[in-house]
Amino acid sequence: MDFLDLIDALQSLADGVLFGATYALLGIGFTLIFGVMHKINLSFAAASIGAAYASLLILAGVKAPPALVFLAAAGCGGVIGGLVYLIGFRFIPLANPLATLMSTVGLLLLIDEIIVHTTAGVPLNYPALFSDVIIRAGPFNLRGDLMFVFLLGCLCMVLLLMLLYRTRLGLATRAMSQQPVAAELCGISNTKVNILTFVTTGIVGGIAGAMIGAAIGMLSPLLSLPLTVKGLIVTVIGGLGSIPGAIIAGLLVGGLENLFQYWRGVSERDLYIMLLLFVFLVFRPGGLFAPATARD
Amino acid sequence: MLVVSDLVAAYGKIEALKGVSLRAETGRITCLLGPNGAGKTTLMMSIAGILKPRRGSIRLGDTELTGLSPARIVGQGIALVPENRLVFPQMSVLENLLAGAYQRGDKAEIAADVERMYDRFPRLRERREQLAGTLSGGEQQMLAVARALMSRPRVLLMDEPSLGLAPLVVAEIFRIVSELNRDGTTIFLVEQNAHMALQVAHHFYLMEQGRVTFSGSPGQLAEDEVIQRAYLGARRAGG
Repeated sequence: MDFLDLIDALQSLADGVLFGATYALLGIGFTLIFGVMHKINLSFAAASIGAAYASLLILAGVKAPPALVFLAAAGCGGVIGGLVYLIGFRFIPLANPLATLMSTVGLLLLIDEIIVHTTAGVPLNYPALFSDVIIRAGPFNLRGDLMFVFLLGCLCMVLLLMLLYRTRLGLATRAMSQQPVAAELCGISNTKVNILTFVTTGIVGGIAGAMIGAAIGMLSPLLSLPLTVKGLIVTVIGGLGSIPGAIIAGLLVGGLENLFQYWRGVSERDLYIMLLLFVFLVFRPGGLFAPATARD
Repeated sequence: MLVVSDLVAAYGKIEALKGVSLRAETGRITCLLGPNGAGKTTLMMSIAGILKPRRGSIRLGDTELTGLSPARIVGQGIALVPENRLVFPQMSVLENLLAGAYQRGDKAEIAADVERMYDRFPRLRERREQLAGTLSGGEQQMLAVARALMSRPRVLLMDEPSLGLAPLVVAEIFRIVSELNRDGTTIFLVEQNAHMALQVAHHFYLMEQGRVTFSGSPGQLAEDEVIQRAYLGARRAGG
């Protein structure tokens, strides 16, 4: 490998890590709901893309600045998150581990269908922010739109961690995820925490959806399935239920994915990500940050 | 006064409580004895609203508690220290206490109560920043009691607070139980350790296979031959 190759490889890695912030947010969404309810919400990535779509449709008539589109996506994400809870969890027997898995698969397909029907399956352009900005650092170029996506992702993570560790709602959420019966005995309402978790993760998902749209310049119904898979891979590599794990795994998967794409082409890159997942499942099934098991 | 009347609770077809009636007098310590599987924990969980009883009533004063959510029952002034303590393992001691005060909004008063808990349980003050999951069993039990007290209950329910603890720690727990009672808290206690309970409780119930089979004062309990054999380890007459 000569010098220019190395530069290009590093450039791909850096771009991928920046884009990986979106995977990190998706991973956080999966992991947070798992942490609180011990359920996998398979419709999460589809709902996130759906929220980004909804923000475009809402603002279709008006000439809205792109920043407003992001806010609208966050709002739509929150609403969709609440609906996902109501439809897919509220009235489904939670004791049966497969019931909600099936209901969320159903929701994933439903959201996909709604997207395809309302847009006739045609990809829509998504407004990018700072796409004309390019920061040069030596031989490397940092794309403004990716930098923006990365920084927005970091901001979301910081806000989310503050919500979890500095507020009363966060205390209730952590209590519910660690010891649900004791949380109820403390007067914390199970249903309320669950709804709020879905709304919060929905907002995060909506922002992630908008970030993905902005980074690749468009939205397509074909995005939701690969993103579901990526989100789950990030969750497993990070350790189910671990937020720091989801963040690091998201950046890692984003970076490696782009690197593999540079080396082996777009058709092979997911193969290597799957291999990475396989390596983790065999050698470190708990993920990077397996939640510690406490003595009882 | 906490009054349970004709309570029936079931898991599927198996009735765990087959019409239980008992009462915990205000300002006193009432103790419920019974072997494993008698339904004691089911009763406690039903009073706290975690389990929904099939029939019967649970009243605190004039308020009917059956059908209320656990959160509403905490709001009525009942707190349960659950069996096996169930502390929040990944939260600090302080956060566990704050979770116990979840329904209260008075920040200054909560902070003052945290200090009061630290005074009552000095070990918790030493370990306030430590994760609760790393505490010893006795410390976790102290924390579970303190956490329940943070909601300022009128009635404190305790489900086997001495379970799995060293004798010295058990003695400490019972000392705290009578102290809390002297300070005005009504206490309803489930125990298997009849010897310790005899020293603090004012009234006893015995529950077997979902039914109350004995109700009486500590004196009556100590005289009852069957209970002596089963719970106090006395020798058979002439043995």
